Amino acid sequence: MVVDEDRDALTFRVHRSAYRSLEVFRREMASIWGATWLYLGHETEIPSPGDFLTRTLGGRPLIFCRDSSGAVRAFLNSCTHRGAILCRHTEGNAKFFQCFYHAWTFSNSGELHALPDSEAYPDVDAFKERMALRRVPRLQIHEGFVFVAFTPDVPELLTHIGRAAHYMSLTARIGPAGLTTLPGVQLYSVKGNWKLAVENAMDGYHFVPTHNTFVGYLRETGFAVTDEDQYAYDLGGGHGLLILTGHNGRIGMVWEPRFGEGERERIVAKRAEMTQRLGAELAAEVADASRILYVFPNLLLFDLEALTIRQLEPVEPGRTDVRAWQFVEVGEPPAVRALRLKTMVSFVGPGGLATPDDIEAYESVQRGIAATAGTEYDWSDMSRGMANEKRGNRGRSVDEGVMRSFWRHWAGVMGE
Amino acid sequence: VNRADVEDFLYREAMLLDEWRLDEWFALFEEGGRMEVPTTDNQGWDSGTAGYFVADDYDLIRARVKRLKSRMAHAENPRSRTHRMVSNVVVLERGERTVRVTANFAIHRYRDGGAYTYVGRYEHLLLATPDGPRFRLRRAVPVMESMDPGARLSFIL
Repeated sequence: MVVDEDRDALTFRVHRSAYRSLEVFRREMASIWGATWLYLGHETEIPSPGDFLTRTLGGRPLIFCRDSSGAVRAFLNSCTHRGAILCRHTEGNAKFFQCFYHAWTFSNSGELHALPDSEAYPDVDAFKERMALRRVPRLQIHEGFVFVAFTPDVPELLTHIGRAAHYMSLTARIGPAGLTTLPGVQLYSVKGNWKLAVENAMDGYHFVPTHNTFVGYLRETGFAVTDEDQYAYDLGGGHGLLILTGHNGRIGMVWEPRFGEGERERIVAKRAEMTQRLGAELAAEVADASRILYVFPNLLLFDLEALTIRQLEPVEPGRTDVRAWQFVEVGEPPAVRALRLKTMVSFVGPGGLATPDDIEAYESVQRGIAATAGTEYDWSDMSRGMANEKRGNRGRSVDEGVMRSFWRHWAGVMGE
Repeated sequence: VNRADVEDFLYREAMLLDEWRLDEWFALFEEGGRMEVPTTDNQGWDSGTAGYFVADDYDLIRARVKRLKSRMAHAENPRSRTHRMVSNVVVLERGERTVRVTANFAIHRYRDGGAYTYVGRYEHLLLATPDGPRFRLRRAVPVMESMDPGARLSFIL
């Protein structure tokens, strides 16, 4: 048993083999990465017909593209002939993908367009049809977030996302002209299991001690961080949400001193625009509080001072590749765009003033749990807040309720 | 400011960083100076229009130095051992009081049993002052395809 919970005794612990066992990792690849919806990327990364990106997801190299008719597509990035990587560029625009090995050429909607010396194949038309580029079996989009599944046997995307869909929609409504990702993707890798990155993002308890120096920096700019009256929500399906009112201002929505006086005035106008566009109630829900949303298994949406999309790609039990995009309002003034980017990367990413300490935390756990391997002490405790929840209270952001709901879901899909 | 002056400046800067003499290092910036590290996919996009690893204004550089001097900067407590090689220094362009320079760097970093190599080039805009060159813009451009496992930018690149 990996997840050991006793609701009467108020104990909850996770066996640390879940972070380091190759056998567990392989089962995760099959039972999670091979069996459920995964976040692939955002539509705005490929705005024009012919735009393509290559990206590895769940260990599989993919082409993520917009075909010539404008439809978003995802293909296995492997020539159907002998398996060579079909597209060896990371991004670009192309009507066709030609394999360099034998010059088989596929259209950006997947048809095998040109087959050199095709007369050597008896029934060329049928052969070409059979050898079309392999589509990822399922692809659906919610608010521009493109998800794929490597098996056709999954429910509709909105059924999978469930209650998390609403919070993605809230974020998508921040700007009157919508939101877009920007070029300049943070590509980095951590020496820690992917689930440690999930726990860290859903963990308000670590914020003050781990980010002591960042909290100190905010204090010097005139902002006092608080964890009072803030909550964490189990959204079902392994998805989780923190709603934070006391961690930061929100560019365009909630002022704090480091944004400057110009932004203070702009926020008044922007809030009025939001109220007019969305109605007072929805505008308040979109704007008033920061949110960290986790969509099982590989998407984190940080809607904080500014916005970041983070994608987790497990590589080994002790290694996770991370990709992070800046997510911004379409059409905002250049000065606001620059403020947003400066502010966001001062916090998040491997060069920020805070994320390196998170990385230190999960890498430190990954190293530290070697100490208990094979002993009776090889368990991590996640019982914080269980007594409060049992009394029927909302789970605080500084408790561990959303980690527990994540792990319960994980145990379910893993057949634990 | 000639190439030898720039070399002296960059070698001394590398020494200050390897020895974690961060207050002396911060004094190498003019007031209002900036520091940038673009992402590894950067195709010439500036820090006001694209995602970056580091896009510090002067206040943020100061905050970064203060943080790194604190024992609560957990990612750098204990501190990384770094060893910097700076070479291929070229003065690209001279303004009235400024010079645009480039140089190659290879930085070896060691921590917790891990060894990491950061390779790239500097693209600085330096201001000539009576006390020697000062950074107006300090830009470190990594040439790797991504940050290797464990290769964070918790130190000054």
